[in-house]
Amino acid sequence: MAKANEQPTLDVQAGTAALEEDIPRVLKVLGCSSVEELGWSRPNKLSLLVPMSGTFQDKKDEYLLRLGFQAYRRWPPSAQFVNPTTLTYVYPQDQHFVPKLTSPECQTHVAYQRTPQSSKIQLICCSATLEFYEVLHNVEQHHLWRETDTFFTTITAIHKALTSFYQGRFSIDGH
Amino acid sequence: MVQQAEHDGGELGKAVHNLEQAEKRLSDARVEEEAAERDIAHAIDEIKDAERGHEFVEVHVIHVNEVEKASFKEKLTATLQQVWDKSYLELKIQRKPKDVFQTAGQHPKSLMNYLGLTLKQAREQKVIEDFRFGIVSETGGA
Repeated sequence: MAKANEQPTLDVQAGTAALEEDIPRVLKVLGCSSVEELGWSRPNKLSLLVPMSGTFQDKKDEYLLRLGFQAYRRWPPSAQFVNPTTLTYVYPQDQHFVPKLTSPECQTHVAYQRTPQSSKIQLICCSATLEFYEVLHNVEQHHLWRETDTFFTTITAIHKALTSFYQGRFSIDGH
Repeated sequence: MVQQAEHDGGELGKAVHNLEQAEKRLSDARVEEEAAERDIAHAIDEIKDAERGHEFVEVHVIHVNEVEKASFKEKLTATLQQVWDKSYLELKIQRKPKDVFQTAGQHPKSLMNYLGLTLKQAREQKVIEDFRFGIVSETGGA
């Protein structure tokens, strides 16, 4: 189980192996035979790209979530909304590729700073993302990531926030 | 005199014969009536069975954290709370205190405020679109 106030440790080999193991489990439960069938893609062994959408004031917006498995499964996957062209997130020019999520279970920040000296990062503030632990966010014991959880937990948590707590796209200037 | 008696005896015999015929027809009619009543009762049972069939639906549940799924039949009159409770038995997974019951699919929606609704009511009120559900442990992030 993940621990509060502990910096996640990276283990690329374990992450790759766990992802290889979990993809078939998730596909099985979703009744699909490939990640492509779900519209997902795997640009490399440690990443998964998941298209998502949110509707705010009758306008549907498309997003691309990038999951990284460098510390998986002891820790949750890294989760970042990325520029669909570059597949990366660079602040501030890519902040409009991030949805405004205001769920009690999942909020987004385009330029989160843990301390004034820290660099600004995109934070999907949810106990099912790696960044949440990297910034040493306060967390309740019952919200801690368990090693029995899979990346499907992360995707579902973000999907749910996009369904019920989506407030539109961050503008170019971050508001 | 003898002729009159023979005539009277013939009339009586005919009347008795007619009576016997009528009693036989009545008996046959009663047998037919009983058979028809049995057919009606059987047809009513068939209608009730058919109606009961429509009251059940196939429910599909995914446990997100454990990546397990189960399907089972449930009455349309069952509440979402009852469906949620039964899901753990079908999944053979223990409930956790911060579990949440929600819709399944690409756009999951929490059902925690609608647990008292029956499946039928939830569908009619468009709280759910189908009978696919998810169980997931709450995450933190406020």
